[in-house]
Amino acid sequence: MAALLLAAMTAAEVWRTVTAPLTLTFPADHGAHPEHRTEWWYVTGLVETPVGRRFGYQLTFFRQGLNPGPPPPGASELHPRHAIAAHLAVADLAAGQLRHAQRLRRAAAGLAGFTMGDLHVWVEEWEMRRHQGDALTLLAGDRAADVSLDLRLVPTRPLVWHGDGGVSRKGPEPGNASAYLTWTRLATAGTLTVGGRTFPVTGTSWLDHEWGSTQLGADVVGWDWLGVRLADGRDLMVYRLRRADGSASPHSAGTVVHPDGSILALGADDLQLAPLSHWRSPRTGAAYPSRLRLRIPRAGLDVTVTPLLLDAEIDARPSTGVIYWEGPVALSGTVSGEGYMELTGYASSLTGRF
Amino acid sequence: MILRALSLRPALRRPLRLVVTVAGVAAGVAAMVATVAASRAAVWAMREGVVEVAGEESLELTAPGGAPTALLGRLRPLAADARLSPVLEEVALLPGTGEPVKVLGLDLLTVDTLADTPPLPHGTLDIEALVGRGGVLVPQPLAQRLGLCPGDELLVTARSRPQALPVAGVFAPQRAASIWSHTVVMDVAAAQELFGRQGYLDAVRLTPRPGVTMEALRARLTSEMVPPPVAVGAPRPRAQGSERLLRALEFNLAALSGISLLVGAVLVAITLATAVVQRRQVIAVLRSLGASPAQVSRAVLAEAAVMGVLGGAVGVLAGGVAARGALVAVRATVATAVQSAVPATAIRVDLPLAMVGVGMGVLVGVAAALLPLAEARSIPPVQGLRGEPRVYLSPRSRRRTALVGLALLGLGATLARLPAMAELPIPALAGSLAVLVALLATAGLAVDTFARVEALPPLRRAGVLLRLAAAALAAGRRRAAWAAGAVGVAIALAIAIATMVHSFRATVLAWAEQGLRSDLWVRPVAAAGVQVGRLHPEVVAVAEELFGADAVDPFHLTEVRLEGHFIPLGAGALEVVARHGGVPFRGGRDGREVFAETLRRRGAVINEPLASRFGLREGDVLRVEAPGGILERPIVGVFYDYSRSQGMAVIDRADFLAHFPDFGPQEVAIFLPSGTDPEGARRRLLAALGDRFLVEVFLNRELRREVLQVFNRTFAITTALQWVAVAVAMVAVATVLSALLAERGRELGLLRALGAGRGQLARVVLAQGGLLGLIGAAGGLGAGLAVGVILVKVVNLQSFAWTLELRLPWAGILMTGSVVALGSLVAAAAPAAAAWRLAPAEVLREE
Repeated sequence: MAALLLAAMTAAEVWRTVTAPLTLTFPADHGAHPEHRTEWWYVTGLVETPVGRRFGYQLTFFRQGLNPGPPPPGASELHPRHAIAAHLAVADLAAGQLRHAQRLRRAAAGLAGFTMGDLHVWVEEWEMRRHQGDALTLLAGDRAADVSLDLRLVPTRPLVWHGDGGVSRKGPEPGNASAYLTWTRLATAGTLTVGGRTFPVTGTSWLDHEWGSTQLGADVVGWDWLGVRLADGRDLMVYRLRRADGSASPHSAGTVVHPDGSILALGADDLQLAPLSHWRSPRTGAAYPSRLRLRIPRAGLDVTVTPLLLDAEIDARPSTGVIYWEGPVALSGTVSGEGYMELTGYASSLTGRF
Repeated sequence: MILRALSLRPALRRPLRLVVTVAGVAAGVAAMVATVAASRAAVWAMREGVVEVAGEESLELTAPGGAPTALLGRLRPLAADARLSPVLEEVALLPGTGEPVKVLGLDLLTVDTLADTPPLPHGTLDIEALVGRGGVLVPQPLAQRLGLCPGDELLVTARSRPQALPVAGVFAPQRAASIWSHTVVMDVAAAQELFGRQGYLDAVRLTPRPGVTMEALRARLTSEMVPPPVAVGAPRPRAQGSERLLRALEFNLAALSGISLLVGAVLVAITLATAVVQRRQVIAVLRSLGASPAQVSRAVLAEAAVMGVLGGAVGVLAGGVAARGALVAVRATVATAVQSAVPATAIRVDLPLAMVGVGMGVLVGVAAALLPLAEARSIPPVQGLRGEPRVYLSPRSRRRTALVGLALLGLGATLARLPAMAELPIPALAGSLAVLVALLATAGLAVDTFARVEALPPLRRAGVLLRLAAAALAAGRRRAAWAAGAVGVAIALAIAIATMVHSFRATVLAWAEQGLRSDLWVRPVAAAGVQVGRLHPEVVAVAEELFGADAVDPFHLTEVRLEGHFIPLGAGALEVVARHGGVPFRGGRDGREVFAETLRRRGAVINEPLASRFGLREGDVLRVEAPGGILERPIVGVFYDYSRSQGMAVIDRADFLAHFPDFGPQEVAIFLPSGTDPEGARRRLLAALGDRFLVEVFLNRELRREVLQVFNRTFAITTALQWVAVAVAMVAVATVLSALLAERGRELGLLRALGAGRGQLARVVLAQGGLLGLIGAAGGLGAGLAVGVILVKVVNLQSFAWTLELRLPWAGILMTGSVVALGSLVAAAAPAAAAWRLAPAEVLREE
């Protein structure tokens, strides 16, 4: 799950909402769904150099629909219909440092855009693209942050359809849902350039592809999301939607993926996620849970989630308008594991942004 | 001590003379400061505007007629090294005043743009209003003036259509007089839609990202990213013209400053020189009382310096105020170049300029005092006290003076024939100066010659009066020569300026008479004399429906590149113009014939400045870069064009629209069938346009009147200088006469004692004044006409490429002549009255 959030420009009624049952065809549905307001392709991963230096990375492309109707007659081709935003973050675990950058452009004139028949989304020189055999290429970099990546990802497990056949309910209204697909394990290889040094890297990544129009219920102020690969071969995705009083929304949910590809869908009652300590951002003053205890009795899980890097706060106000925490985590307890965690709504409420 | 005797006492006794001298210096300095300050303000507004908006370090990709929007996508590979920003620059007009406001269209939906553009607020913007509803960011000074707050609407006309733009925010320009204070910012897409420029940008701006040099960025631009006719360059003013406009404007104003400086210097020199001459006697007394020549010199120079400082200071202050007037004079040019008004706050008389102004006052003052001082010093005290006997020049010195004068005239004539230096008419201006120096150098000879007239048989009988006057001039020849020379130079300047202005005016009027044939003239409502903005294409459609397509001539304008330089390319309905005629062509060809041929051969006509700048002529082929590639058109004719000093080519409108998008014409000319009432036609047109369009419709006579008004405004300062020169001539005559009279007091007293009547004496003095004026006028007329010819035929041609017909300003000459003659008499009146009151016994007793 993720955080996109350009100011809403028009009423949502005219955007199509996601409702079950979902019929999808591939590779077309790997591409964009511009009839829905919001969509993202969210890649996180952990990679290491041949000598074992480890990095976490995140590259996300957001598509935000700005105007659902047909363009008015005489409209400029630059008249914005969709905006493409992208976030790049590389966690240098050895240096204990997060480098991040962002892009934002209207999808017009070729400078930013997306395709519908297949996955290809780009903003300026950053891009994500699907090739033969579901191989994905990622390309992004930023001079000011002195970081860039050039990676090739190949799924090693089938695509996961979360929720009810891919429909992930996020709120009480019928439209409060998104289509949510994941490749939980993608073999990753390529190069990473950090601080002027280029490293060949290999590792494993995770891709979320999600789209919808009005996902969150009105009372949700943020969420905690976790996507991890467990040492026992299972993969786990959970999200806990938080309400203003700190309690979990009944639409919080999760998915356990077994090595054979079979799925166990989790409801709000199956999840217990509680912060054990907090880290306060020196820049924004926001206090994020730094260690959490996650208990999922139905899956036999009782683990502690520990960030591999404490300061993984990303100020994305210039592009998507939000501040969030997104970084690599390790799991310990009944089973060990690794993955990424996202914490939103701690710097300010996300209500009405989604 | 000496200073007190020499300067203070006379100054207190005759405060008027002090005031006149200081005012003279001040006027000269003010004229210079005003033009310099105004030109700097205009040029500053244009240059700063470009840098301030584009940033110091950036490249721009531009193309004739506008760069296609798709260029952005081609540049995508560069995004890692540079921030890419689409730029659209247009002008909207405030309804009511017609004041132009620059509209800057930028991509407001990026991470970079607002962060890169300092005065614009970011983070708290109403993106929905800005990007979704075409809102504008308004500079605080404008918002305050119009009483606008976020949420209100800014009313403008864009392409003559009234529009209400939601105010999405107010920003504060960081500096006063910033270009931002008359720039509104909106999203590029909304700007394109507002001005009908969908699909086109004025530029794509590339700002290197940190760690990328401009060179590296340039090197990364491949031919694929920059397909012809797209070109890469530094940000430049995007006027409806070229980079040359800036230069032309600078020179235009510099030339004006130069003329002001010349008049100013002469003015200062004359006032101070005559002030020294006038006190020849005081100096002699001081000398005889034991003051050393050095002491006297120091006192005189100190006085000149003080006058210079005083006059300079007053001049600098007055110049700052007058600069606003000067700016109005060049308003049309400035508005075209800056595409907006130059704020009065842009006029700054800073310390360096103030120092130059005061310095000029002092320098010219001291220099002017030096020559007469040398003369005063060289005279033995006794002679200085006694007055001089008549002295005539020896034949040898007469010959020598005449030769010097001829040599200077020859030099002037030679310089005037030289080509321009660095595209500026420097030799010709130097030649003009040589002519004026010749006049000063030969003034003594002229006075000498006049003084001899008493010996001429026809004048023998002219009476004792004239002979006495001539004799008096001969006695004070050196000082009389000063006065005559000063009068001459002042008159020469007045006549030269009058010749130039008159020739210019006559040529422009004749041109307008022939060129402005249409009955109605439609354009966006703009402040008078300002030609900015365009009309919506629908205005053309309405006019064609009312009056028929064969009566309507829309004039389009865009930019193309010729030999690497941007030049304006215009287009008109040649079919219509070929029937009605238009601008006059070189070689006297009939415009109708030329336009018909242009239409037939799918050719082009070019204006005179373009022809001379690029060495093009009839029969050559014009090759310009257009959006579709190279456009080649045979040049069918060269037309006179006094409305712009830039080169411009004109092709047929249909030809134009086949190559360039129709963004709407600049103006529309309408030719009515004979017998149609133009007033009625105007009413019909305005009624048909209704309140959807805000246009001005001029009748032919109104347009001509406006042409004349613009002309007069442009030359207002020049004309003022002409009258300043005349005033200088009068002051010169008056001061020298009273000085001469003081010297001749004893002689006049003697004449009275010998029985001459008061009236007779007064007439002698008047005759003396008249003679001085006559000598000055004769010399000044000759020199003035010579300089006038140089200005008209050489300076104008070299600086603006305008062929002007030489028209002698008879009225101006007559007026100048009579004013100076009258002035000389009036100036002589006071001394004459003194002569009238003269008590012979008293004068003789002094002896």
